[in-house]
Amino acid sequence: MTVTTEILQIASYLGAGIGVGIASLSAGIGEGYTAGHTAHSFMRQPKAGDSLVNSMLVSQAVTETGAIFALVIALLLIFGGFTDPAGGWFKAAALLSAGIAVGVGSVGPGFGSGYSGGQASKAIGRMPKQNNAITGNMLIGQALAQAGSIFALVVSLLLLYSTPNQPADATLGEVILKCAAFLGGGLAIGIGTLGPGAAIGFVAGRANDMIGRFPKERASIIKTMFLGAAVSESTAIYSLVISFLLIFAI
Amino acid sequence: MEQIARAAALLGAGICMGIGALGPGVGEGFVAGKACEGIARSPENANLITRTMLVGQAVSESTGIYSLVIALLLIFST
Repeated sequence: MTVTTEILQIASYLGAGIGVGIASLSAGIGEGYTAGHTAHSFMRQPKAGDSLVNSMLVSQAVTETGAIFALVIALLLIFGGFTDPAGGWFKAAALLSAGIAVGVGSVGPGFGSGYSGGQASKAIGRMPKQNNAITGNMLIGQALAQAGSIFALVVSLLLLYSTPNQPADATLGEVILKCAAFLGGGLAIGIGTLGPGAAIGFVAGRANDMIGRFPKERASIIKTMFLGAAVSESTAIYSLVISFLLIFAI
Repeated sequence: MEQIARAAALLGAGICMGIGALGPGVGEGFVAGKACEGIARSPENANLITRTMLVGQAVSESTGIYSLVIALLLIFST
């Protein structure tokens, strides 16, 4: 069966829809969690209002990152002009996989960043004087947590722009093989960053909470946070390696 | 038929590494979060807590490495 423009469009639209839908889920929940804790902290410390709102807005902006990546990929999928039938089934699989990768890949980082922001608001509500230390630590933690969504974005862009067209003489077997490899690559990085992203956010959140309670122990808390986050990140890096292998070495 | 089997192996490799990375990631992060909490509450035990955290994470990591090995086997030896 030869590939027509319509099939490529179907793959692009499906990928765009799935990607943005799943990515928005976690960003929405994460930002809501932050806002909820901020509102709660207002009640305890109405005087810390300004610093609470600042911290909340910064946190929500970072939490949104994954959803914005998914939005960019979706717009590229819809308007990027990937409709040349010469791409064949290879391209159709790559387009669908690009959407799934960035969508699922944003879920973990979204939850993690939101948790970190919520705990930061809680800690600022308890100790408004530690505002700077807590917000700083929150941002470091969120940056570490977002690494997963950046991996997913990279894989997704590679799937869009660096995948080969289907050769004219490709057999059915080769086509199935390559399509499975592209889909597998997208799923590996997408699902693989879920755990590390959420978990690094959890580490950062606990660290924020504890800096708020025991500001004197800040240095050793941050050290442990970095160490723990680095170990948690390892499985996301394994996923990235497997996904590169599947996309380029098959 | 052979190529369909290989295609299934490749798709399986992706799913294997993806889902396999989920558990260790969450588990290790939970350990690290609780270690931060423990160090804050009893800083004098910082070394012991860090050591326990690393040992716990190493054990959690093992299933992630199993997934990596299986994914590599699926890619290269099927």
